[in-house]
Amino acid sequence: MYDYVVIGAGIVGSFIARELSKYDLKALVVEKENDVANVQTLANSAILHSGHNPKPNTLKSRLCLLGNKMYNDVEKELNIQILRSGAFVVAHGESEEKQLAELVETTKQNNVTEYELLSYEEAVKTEPNLAKSVTQVLSLPTTGVIYPWEVAFACMENAIVNGVEFRKNAEVTNLIKDSGTFKITINDKDIVESKYVINATGVNTDDIAEMLEKHVDFKITPRKGEYFVLDKRVKGFVNHVLYPLPTNKGKGVLLTPQVHGNILVGPDSKFVDDKYRTDNTNSGLGYVKENASLLADNIPFNQIIRSFAGIRATSTKEDFIIEESKEIKGLYHTAGIDSPGLTAAPAIAEYLVNEIMMVQDKYDTSKDFDPIRKKLPEFHSLPEEKQRELIKQDSRYANIICKCEKITEKEIVDAINGPLGSNSIKGIKKRTRAGAGLCQGGYCEEKVYKLIARETNSSPLDIVYDSQKSNLFVSETKVKK
Amino acid sequence: MRKEIIVVGGGASGLAAALAAKKEGRDVLLIEREDRLGGILNQCIHNGFGLQVFKEEYTGPEYADKYIQEFLQSDIPYYLDTTVTNVDKLDDGFEITFSSTKTGMKKIQADALIMSTGCYERTRGSIIMPGDRPYGVITAGSAQRYLNIDGYMVGKNVFILGSGDIGLIMARRMHLEGANVLGVAELMPYSNGLTRNIVQCLNDFDIPLFLSHTVTQVNANKNQRLESIIIQQVDKSFKPIEGTEKKFEVDTLLLSIGLIPDITLLDNLEVEKDNRTKSVKINQSYQTSVPGIFICGNSLQVHDLVDNVSLESERAGKCASKYVLSKKIERKTVNIIAGNNLLFVTPHYIDFASEAKNVVFQFRSKTKIAKSMLKISQKDNEIKSKRINYVVPAEMESISIPLEEFNDLDDVVLDLEVL
Repeated sequence: MYDYVVIGAGIVGSFIARELSKYDLKALVVEKENDVANVQTLANSAILHSGHNPKPNTLKSRLCLLGNKMYNDVEKELNIQILRSGAFVVAHGESEEKQLAELVETTKQNNVTEYELLSYEEAVKTEPNLAKSVTQVLSLPTTGVIYPWEVAFACMENAIVNGVEFRKNAEVTNLIKDSGTFKITINDKDIVESKYVINATGVNTDDIAEMLEKHVDFKITPRKGEYFVLDKRVKGFVNHVLYPLPTNKGKGVLLTPQVHGNILVGPDSKFVDDKYRTDNTNSGLGYVKENASLLADNIPFNQIIRSFAGIRATSTKEDFIIEESKEIKGLYHTAGIDSPGLTAAPAIAEYLVNEIMMVQDKYDTSKDFDPIRKKLPEFHSLPEEKQRELIKQDSRYANIICKCEKITEKEIVDAINGPLGSNSIKGIKKRTRAGAGLCQGGYCEEKVYKLIARETNSSPLDIVYDSQKSNLFVSETKVKK
Repeated sequence: MRKEIIVVGGGASGLAAALAAKKEGRDVLLIEREDRLGGILNQCIHNGFGLQVFKEEYTGPEYADKYIQEFLQSDIPYYLDTTVTNVDKLDDGFEITFSSTKTGMKKIQADALIMSTGCYERTRGSIIMPGDRPYGVITAGSAQRYLNIDGYMVGKNVFILGSGDIGLIMARRMHLEGANVLGVAELMPYSNGLTRNIVQCLNDFDIPLFLSHTVTQVNANKNQRLESIIIQQVDKSFKPIEGTEKKFEVDTLLLSIGLIPDITLLDNLEVEKDNRTKSVKINQSYQTSVPGIFICGNSLQVHDLVDNVSLESERAGKCASKYVLSKKIERKTVNIIAGNNLLFVTPHYIDFASEAKNVVFQFRSKTKIAKSMLKISQKDNEIKSKRINYVVPAEMESISIPLEEFNDLDDVVLDLEVL
């Protein structure tokens, strides 16, 4: 019997798991995907928003501001990377400048204290490619950019080290409450029992709620967003996150410098019926291209290395839903976590655990909790001296597997074998960036699958790209047979 | 440690360049990333190689072996499984950093570098292909490697986008391995592959070629594996035409949509680039705008015949050798301009101080022309005109002209006129 079962290992589930690992309790996280951070956390803008935009006096406003600040500790404890880029919200001409003035009011009401209005001339000094049509910008220096997968991995890894159990490829297929105990059916066969259940399933939060509740008072209305990725060779093309003025559809098409030097262009925003479908469309990508040009001039679209789409778990309620189920005691929802969910995630976890679930009143704090997650070396970013030292310790650091991102054999082996190791090509890419560069795995996928086969002692026929059934190969060739 | 010449890459280009430099008496080192010499030829197990150089038809590995044997006998030192990670320019040459399990991280200096780093494949990311992003959409070259070197099939029901040579070769290869190859779609109204490959790889096996078609939708199944694609005919501006949709149920879509010279090692140096070849600019001795850095093979321009890679790289190896002795870098140059109907031309300028006394122009036409006249001129002065029958973008043409025929004042323009 578990005390808590967390359903969903996106960034919210991962932060909740870590928060729970601070107490003497038995917790399990179940994830239907073959990896942590594989749906909404996989594909988004990666921004730590300052908190300027949410409607004042909402959970979004409060938890975004708090989350942004909490990331300072998260950075130190979990050794994650934050690009402290700052952001510019841009206005073109008089009428947009009026809207920008309104946004300044919202910013103040949201208690964001660091902001500044700049003229085009002032802004262009630090953002040389800013579109010449821009007349004024709102500078938001506390805005940052993270690497969302890394944050989720770091949280979950730290939670696991501190005693939380984690099961991937574990889809909750039924959920009942029987004489005070939750019985959670996994993959239609195993049943695990728990005192409490936390529903952190992103786009599936309404489906999970419906397993137990008669009248679920929210519905997920998924919104898809499409993006382009520009190669890291464009690093420095923009230095800040560039936002247009927000509309009722959200924050609009952005230009976002990424932690590793790439630039994200997007997203658009479209309500979609299928919560599992993250396809790219001509219209979506066309919209992104057109609107991005309002932010910066001469965007190097010839450096596109990938396009993708993500899904936002927007709900029928405007605000985050972080509460105990109104019908079922002991079932907690974190639903409707769309933007600024990534920013708010650490605050959402703390709010849920300490203000809604009151875990601190039910369980002792764990004496063994170690908040520090040691980061394995990111070889290519180290000074040469340090690199030589590492090679001396382990010669596999001298074997470059991914040429574009300069990822070594040792880093890939660690990603396969670590506490939250992965045996999929995509899992290795998410952990190490092998295959995330210019050639998109053309050079290294072959080397990575062989390392996975070697380390896990399995046949190449069993190596998967992502899900357990996405095998790279269908058979051996005639000669090989 | 210092060498006169370091060759980066041990494929067809690097082997020929290194051998040529060694024959000129230079002290050469070759560095190769893979665990064997021969580069991409190792996975090209079909025949059709060597007709120009050896007057005989070989498979890729056989062709490579000719050079590898000669290379091994020449006692040129080389490293395998070794990646060059950085190139720095010094006052009197270059320092490269390389890394391997055996050697650790090492630095070595050289008077000259020959970049023969090949090319990489354009991926789905570089074009807009609407739809899901399942596994099963793979570049043709990767699939070729898995099939021919590793011994694994990537799929059973296959469609191919792009009629470049690798796509055509893979259509036949997958068919012979028992896969069901449903067709090849080509965006252009003509194929981008060699004519012989269209005949021998598609026609001979009744694999349909859909010209002026592209993939407009990719659909995944619930296991994130490719399930089906939709292709559509395109109009003259490459816009899909409604009502021409054809659906194919395939688990694999191979992409043969172009190759891009791999010049990432030169990213940190200020080397003049050519947007048309997507590589760097050179003079007639294959020297880049950074004196001492030479480039040849597919990292200079994507070739259709390996024989031309070998011949070009041999010239580059010789030129680099002469440079090492003379270190002549005084430059008096005129530009070479790709004029009418030309996609690109190399070299990009003539350097009159260079020791290469012939200018070997290599170029591709923009379109298929049945009868054409190549004109090379400087201002009003026509230097050479030559009739060329049947030019196509897929086949690179070349012509060699003595340096002395050019004046050192005016740009050289190449035009391909339709007759």
